[in-house]
Amino acid sequence: MELVQNFPFLTIILALFSGPLCSILKSKAAKWVNTIVIALILVMSVAVLIFTIQTGEAYVYQMGHFSAPWGNEIRVGILEAFMAVFFCVVMLLCMLGGRRELAEEVEETKQNLYYVMVGLLLSSLLALIYTNDLFTAYVFVEINTISACGLIMIRQNGRAIEAATRYMIMSLLGSGLLLMGICYLYDLTGHLLMSNIKEQVALLQQSGEYHIPLLIAITLMSVGLAIKSALFPFHSWVPDAYGYSTLSSAAILSSLVSKGYIFLVIKIFYRVIGFDVIRESKVINVLFVFGVLGMIFGSVNAIRESNIRRMIAWSSVAQIGYIYMGFGLGTTAGMIASLFHILSHAATKSMLFISASGLTDVSSHDTDFFGLTGSGYRNKIAGVAFTAGSLSMVGIPLFSGFISKVLFASAAYDTSGKLIPAMIALALSTLLNAIYFMKTVIRIYTPPHRAGIETDTRTITVREQPQKTVVLVLFIALNLVLGLGSQPIVNLLTKGLEMFG
Amino acid sequence: MNISNLINNYEEAVAMLLFVIGFSNLLLQPNLIKKIIGMNIMDTAIYLFLALKGYIEGHKAPIVVDGVQSVDAYVNPIPSGLVLTGIVVSVSVSALMLSLTIRLYRRYHTLNLDEISTQLKKEGL
Amino acid sequence: MGIWILIPIFLPVVAGVLLLLSSAKADHSSDSEGAAVPEKTAKSAEGLVRLHCITAVVLVVSAVLALLAAWSGDNSYTWFELMEGIPIYFQIDDVGRLFVTVFSIAWVLVCFYSFTYMKHEGKEQRFFGFYLIVYGVLVALCFSGNLVTLYLFYELMTLTSMPMVLHSGTRESIMAALKYLFYSMCGAYLGLFAIFFLYRYCDTLTFTAGGTLNLALAEGHTGILLAAVMAALIGFGAKAGMFPLHAWLPTAHPVAPAPASAVLSGIIAKAGVLAIIRVVFYTVGADFIRGTWVQTAWMSLALLTVFMGSMLAFREKVFKKRLAYSTVSQVSYILFGLSVLSPTAMEGALLHVVFHAFIKCALFLTAGIFICCAGLSNVDQLEGIGKKMPKTLWCFTFASLALIGIPPTSGFISKWYLAQGALEAEVGAYSWAGPAVLLLSALLTAGYLLPIVTNGFFPKKKEQGENVQKEGASAHGAAITAHAAGNASAAQAADGSSAAAAAEAPLGMLIPLAVFAALAVLLGVFPNPLIRFVSKIAAAVL
Repeated sequence: MELVQNFPFLTIILALFSGPLCSILKSKAAKWVNTIVIALILVMSVAVLIFTIQTGEAYVYQMGHFSAPWGNEIRVGILEAFMAVFFCVVMLLCMLGGRRELAEEVEETKQNLYYVMVGLLLSSLLALIYTNDLFTAYVFVEINTISACGLIMIRQNGRAIEAATRYMIMSLLGSGLLLMGICYLYDLTGHLLMSNIKEQVALLQQSGEYHIPLLIAITLMSVGLAIKSALFPFHSWVPDAYGYSTLSSAAILSSLVSKGYIFLVIKIFYRVIGFDVIRESKVINVLFVFGVLGMIFGSVNAIRESNIRRMIAWSSVAQIGYIYMGFGLGTTAGMIASLFHILSHAATKSMLFISASGLTDVSSHDTDFFGLTGSGYRNKIAGVAFTAGSLSMVGIPLFSGFISKVLFASAAYDTSGKLIPAMIALALSTLLNAIYFMKTVIRIYTPPHRAGIETDTRTITVREQPQKTVVLVLFIALNLVLGLGSQPIVNLLTKGLEMFG
Repeated sequence: MNISNLINNYEEAVAMLLFVIGFSNLLLQPNLIKKIIGMNIMDTAIYLFLALKGYIEGHKAPIVVDGVQSVDAYVNPIPSGLVLTGIVVSVSVSALMLSLTIRLYRRYHTLNLDEISTQLKKEGL
Repeated sequence: MGIWILIPIFLPVVAGVLLLLSSAKADHSSDSEGAAVPEKTAKSAEGLVRLHCITAVVLVVSAVLALLAAWSGDNSYTWFELMEGIPIYFQIDDVGRLFVTVFSIAWVLVCFYSFTYMKHEGKEQRFFGFYLIVYGVLVALCFSGNLVTLYLFYELMTLTSMPMVLHSGTRESIMAALKYLFYSMCGAYLGLFAIFFLYRYCDTLTFTAGGTLNLALAEGHTGILLAAVMAALIGFGAKAGMFPLHAWLPTAHPVAPAPASAVLSGIIAKAGVLAIIRVVFYTVGADFIRGTWVQTAWMSLALLTVFMGSMLAFREKVFKKRLAYSTVSQVSYILFGLSVLSPTAMEGALLHVVFHAFIKCALFLTAGIFICCAGLSNVDQLEGIGKKMPKTLWCFTFASLALIGIPPTSGFISKWYLAQGALEAEVGAYSWAGPAVLLLSALLTAGYLLPIVTNGFFPKKKEQGENVQKEGASAHGAAITAHAAGNASAAQAADGSSAAAAAEAPLGMLIPLAVFAALAVLLGVFPNPLIRFVSKIAAAVL
């Protein structure tokens, strides 16, 4: 066994223990510990990625002394390693981009606690990515939920606490269903390790026994995770939770937390149940319908929203809809499209949140739509980044959003009967996206004195916010990389998905 | 699928019933404390279900007292382990929910989530 | 050698971006300090000259480079792969050559015109920044070698030309810009939908004369493919102002500065035509849609638009709106010419692309002169203007005659070919209905353009001297109430110019206008090289 193969486990542990360490440090030290830990994990994940690409196959890492059917395992392939790298990059950028807001909005004494939560969150995300054990996955889902709740409520105003409560309630409903589904599956197969469950499920499917309980188990798990990842119609907590939490939290929640659950869905589809069984069950059709509804509904609500952060949050609801629609197509191409959209959405949405906060900073912290008039001139880099993010969301070529839409469309093409609804939904949601994002872009570049609106006259130059500028520039670059160099990434995802099951 | 199946497996049926009761409480009750109670009922129902799955009639708990006996002597230990883990999770989640509830109650002097929302809207935050 | 293609694309884009970056600073400082500082105006005048020089040099150099690249032989260049099998690919062919030449000439001339005009609008640096960027994008659009590249630059063109519409920043202009954006995006997505299907059924998306549709693959999927082609026609037709997505034109034009309207009508509407040519003749192939319902629908839509546009223009009183409706109608002449799928009609259509670009630029530049030098935006106010601005009105007269199609002006040639082509083609009732509608529309064109000329030169009332004075004064009120003049600049111009209402336009504006008018006439007198060139194109694809 090579040293690199230990890295996945080490990264989880490192993130997990950085939490308690941060709790006893001063907030400034905690900040640096956190940044360094994320960076270190990023480097280690890159090493793992390179290792898996070189060997070209997934490996199993045994935890403890018990082997396969009894013990606990980590399973690492290209897809897992790639996701880990990507999540670390986005998380690092989100944390750096929201530092100033964190310092302003959170009490000095509580800031180190924030880093505790971030450490736990990263650890649980990594564990969700790597684990090969269904019950471990459940435990880390709960850790993920609790730390995400902490991220929301760290900002001590009524809105944030209420949002955290609502988030918690929805999440608990989801985890209840998930756990029930896992118990069902354990009852049916007698295993908790994903690969073993898959063998047993295949046997069950052959013998035709326990068809209905299996279906119930699949449904419970899918619905549970769908609730947790805010698929329409379980999205009610999203606008408040993303709209009123501190900036880093909103960015991380929208781009990473929901994606962790979605990754678990993919894992359950491919590694636990087997994609063929999933395809035969009608669950994916349900996901397809709700995905499509979410795409439309989220965008319509975003149009009606006048608070820019809540608008972006509603747009997240729509984007989650895209991802589930990709699942619902029931093809590998659809899954690849969804995976790519996970990347594209994570890169874009966090950039939008960070740039939107840059815009509201120069508008007397006015999240109202008209207050934003001309803010693109007052904070240039935020204006540029918001425009780039909007273009990506609308699906203009050169940006990542276009690629994911093309991937969705070509995936839909190979299905029978889902082509037309998918196409219509894509077109409609794109148009709706164009309406609210372009409306905002035009608004932030309208000179206020011509439009006859009194606004804040404060400006923030690039020099005053070097950190945020760097973060936003990196985010734009990430978007362009995904938009221009998509083919190697899609190839990597395809290869990763092949060795994933 | 018939009634006798249901009666034979009445323990599972009870667990499911409890699960549904807990779930709907958590979803529908406006009162935060009742929601938390609902959540606990739901979790407990799952543990009951799990424990039932691991129980083999006539076998003892898998605690080694006087030397390891044959496999037939013990019930399946894994579900018990899972239940323990689950309880830990549920305790921490309950604690978190309760602390949130306390925060909200101190601010708004009510446990009704809908009322809190209306108050928030009035605040215009 | 292929990489040279990129230079005329990137030079203006980079220069434009740099201008924009520096403009944000300049604009802001002028905002905060207010405009009434004398030393500042002196400084800004100097800056303005510098800005004009930079813009002119960059634009002329890139136009020359673009033309050199276009006319130095067939060339192609693959920039990079957007996705597997979908490269961003440039290729120069005859259609690209024709369009890039027209676009470059018009773009440079309008640019010189706007140096003077934009003084009335302000925010010049931003305007010229975007103006340069759009030029680069247009060159790329002309040189695009496959549908995806075309689509990419088509979208970029929409986005970068939008700021020109919302230049004044008023509420009306924002709504107009949103409308423009919405229509264009709707259209572009219909186009993308078609591209997506064509990608499946074509051997390659690279433009090849006669089309690359794989008939064996398309077997059994004809229905959906035809629907896709129709979607592309309607979608890209949005830019060309074809019914049912034409409504952005009359909204966007009155609020945009005159040079922006000129290029929107004269050039950017043609980009929609280019996209349609690329889809129909270079990807699908004319034979695939010949005799199908798509051709019938296309012809009907085009003819309907021709007639409707003329009628609406005839009834419209706001000068720029009238011209916008005229564009709706005239560009659909081109589309009709393409839709009958006969070589002669296609020659006529391509000729009309060239002629209409120059003519419509001339007309809009005239409208701009009336707005900025005399504060007149309504047709009724123009009575007697010919006594005061004879040169401007003469240019307008020639351009109008050309648009109506009176020999020997250029419009006659193109319309002759269009009618001839329609009569030759075997398209049933359309071969006589088409020319009839074209003729009717030409009469309407005369009806909405010539009264301006006659009233301008021969006012009905005798006391024109006072009349113009009075109108100059009343123009202020009119400018605010009339919907065209949500445009604040018209009001400003009306304020400042009531005394000078009668002066002839400055040379900076008059010369580009005269060149356009001269082109409009001269191309009709000496059309042969052009006809030879377009017949080569038509012969290659049909």
